[in-house]
Amino acid sequence: MRRRILTTAALLAGSALMLSACAPSASSGDEAASGDEVTLKVWSWRTEDVEAYNRIFDVFEEAHPDITVEFEAFQNTEYNQILTTGLAGSDGPDVPMVRAYGQLQPNIEAGQLEPIDGEVDGLDDIAPSVLAGAKGRADGKTYAVPLATQTLQMFYNKAIFEEQGLEVPTTWSEFIDVNEKLLAAGITPMALGAKDDWILPIFHDIIGSARYGGAEFEEKVLAGEVDFNDPDYVASLQLITDVQKYLTPDVVGVSYTDSQIQFTSAQAAQFPGGSFEIATFRNQAPDLEFGSYQVPLPEGAVLDAPVSPAYADGNFAVNSKSKNKEAAFELLNWLATPEFGQLVADELNQFSAIPGVDYQDEIMQEAWKNAEAGQAPYLLLVNFRYGEPLGTAVLGAEVQKMFLGQTDAAGAAAALQTGVSQWFTPGK
Amino acid sequence: MTAIPTPKVRRRPPRTGIMLSRRAAMVFVLPAFVLFAVFIAYPLLTALSYSFFGWTGILRGDFVGIQNYVTLFTSLPYSEDIPNAFVHNLLLFLGAMLFQNTIGLGLASLLHRMPRFRRFFQTMYTLPYLVSPLVIGYLWSLMLSPLFGPVNAVLRGIGLGELAQPWLGNPQTAIWVVVIVTAWQWIGFPVLLYGAALGGIPAEIDEAASLDGAGSWQRFRSITLPMLVPAIGTVSVLTFIGAMEAFPIPYALGGSQGNPAGATDVLSLLFYRTAFESGSSNAIGTSSAIATLLFLFIFGISMLITWFMRRTERKLF
Repeated sequence: MRRRILTTAALLAGSALMLSACAPSASSGDEAASGDEVTLKVWSWRTEDVEAYNRIFDVFEEAHPDITVEFEAFQNTEYNQILTTGLAGSDGPDVPMVRAYGQLQPNIEAGQLEPIDGEVDGLDDIAPSVLAGAKGRADGKTYAVPLATQTLQMFYNKAIFEEQGLEVPTTWSEFIDVNEKLLAAGITPMALGAKDDWILPIFHDIIGSARYGGAEFEEKVLAGEVDFNDPDYVASLQLITDVQKYLTPDVVGVSYTDSQIQFTSAQAAQFPGGSFEIATFRNQAPDLEFGSYQVPLPEGAVLDAPVSPAYADGNFAVNSKSKNKEAAFELLNWLATPEFGQLVADELNQFSAIPGVDYQDEIMQEAWKNAEAGQAPYLLLVNFRYGEPLGTAVLGAEVQKMFLGQTDAAGAAAALQTGVSQWFTPGK
Repeated sequence: MTAIPTPKVRRRPPRTGIMLSRRAAMVFVLPAFVLFAVFIAYPLLTALSYSFFGWTGILRGDFVGIQNYVTLFTSLPYSEDIPNAFVHNLLLFLGAMLFQNTIGLGLASLLHRMPRFRRFFQTMYTLPYLVSPLVIGYLWSLMLSPLFGPVNAVLRGIGLGELAQPWLGNPQTAIWVVVIVTAWQWIGFPVLLYGAALGGIPAEIDEAASLDGAGSWQRFRSITLPMLVPAIGTVSVLTFIGAMEAFPIPYALGGSQGNPAGATDVLSLLFYRTAFESGSSNAIGTSSAIATLLFLFIFGISMLITWFMRRTERKLF
């Protein structure tokens, strides 16, 4: 008796499961089969840019009358899961916006994206460290067209600099001098939200990339010629301790958003951050006059010119299950043109990954000029987020410990080396 | 267990007076059973099965046995993060127990003697419990900000400036902030539960003891407290589950990395990081192993607490 009931129940439960499993495929009608008109589904996590993207794709549709682009945006924090489900099913996007570098690998390894080498023109013009964000780690193939570049620099409040008679520093001693004068004037020299660990490797690269050698160090560390215990890398971390007195006391208690408010409310004169801050600062304080500069070369720097660390932010790829691959590649080709790059600049206020774009906005112009003068990869994000623990996460926590006096530069570097060696083998 | 009908005297006649055939009873149970099977048992078992496989992205690879579990205890960052996070979960549990069974119980007994204000204060104490813990955590992080937060401003204002701290920036204080904020939010829960349990104790017993000359502490100690054991058991188990699964408040106060420097890390944050933020292609395997371990631990200890409380109850009555 009991067994029979259990069987019935199990059967019922099982059929309920099967029903739910059938549901998505039943609704996914084959739209591509009807005529030449093609509708491409584009997914993104930029819910704030839906209108801008619609305007951008209007331009594309005008030149490609047989293709309609349907742009859909999802909550940023939920996007990875939504995309994973979408790509696994048959109802997913044709052209999804995908993450860059390490976060892109699970999609590639699962065979969800189409390789685009040879299918898309213009990839060669893109900076290698940016294009690396669209490549498969294991097979070296390119899977997507990079959308935007972020560059990391020191933002400064122009009004405060003027009041205090300060000028943008061009040498390390001038840089220290600026900070000393601000400190003496009772203004926090630099706003940093060290409570949020992710900002700290950014801070380190802004201050120290030229000290450890930027792209030169990248090449050596990837080849296994040096590791993070290298004296130059340790010295670059030491710079953090050297400038700690120019940050808010108790800096580890300050959150990232607090530090933004510090800068936009003119309580702090400088903000080491990414170009993604420009839009935020604009929104928070429309009247704020600010600019950006590259932190000058510290003593003993390996490079002979200052650099702006940079990385790719977001890519567009082709779903390998898409029924409209031809049209999808047509769109991807367009996404790799300067025409689209210019629209990214004008409509989205972002730095395009495609060279040859003019920026109208003064602050963006300045930041871009800096970046073009000398670039370096944002090393830990570009190369050391392909396994657990993430390089950025390890260094973030270690810099917090440095601020708290629990470790020193050499200890932090050693911890970073131990952490990434869990999954990173040089020369691969 | 067998299909052979054995004539047997029913030991316990149904107290409700309603007779249901087995089959009819099953029909009533079935909807709940199906929901349970689909939404609880099935995901639980899939997570269990996922943890025994290697993964590349969302593609399931080979069966790897307990390799994912071995990884958790032998390789970085897990071998360091798990003990660290686990201790914090235990602190959360102990802190919450301490608060709930002293202040919570105290408030409930006080309110029990003040019928006029009982409703009002019960509602007041329960309010934080009704606000999303993410919001609570965020509000506290604003209040404790060393730059703009009112807590330090008040301390300095009343001449206690040396007590002003970067509360969430100092690893020594940060975890206690998480413990206290969690306990603070949950305080309404024991007030309600103990309030109801206190209301269930017949007044005559108390009266009789009082006539026999027992003082108020004596009455609380020897009558109220023992009668509350079932409620204490319930509160303990639920608090334990809550503390082990704590996520929103630590997340709002310390971010997904348990800032500063892992000082506010808990197991659910570790799970979240592994599952959704790591670039590791075996994220599903490792995070499923964490989830399974967490479940087994919570399940085991909850059973233990329940068993212990039952035994205490049986001894008392």
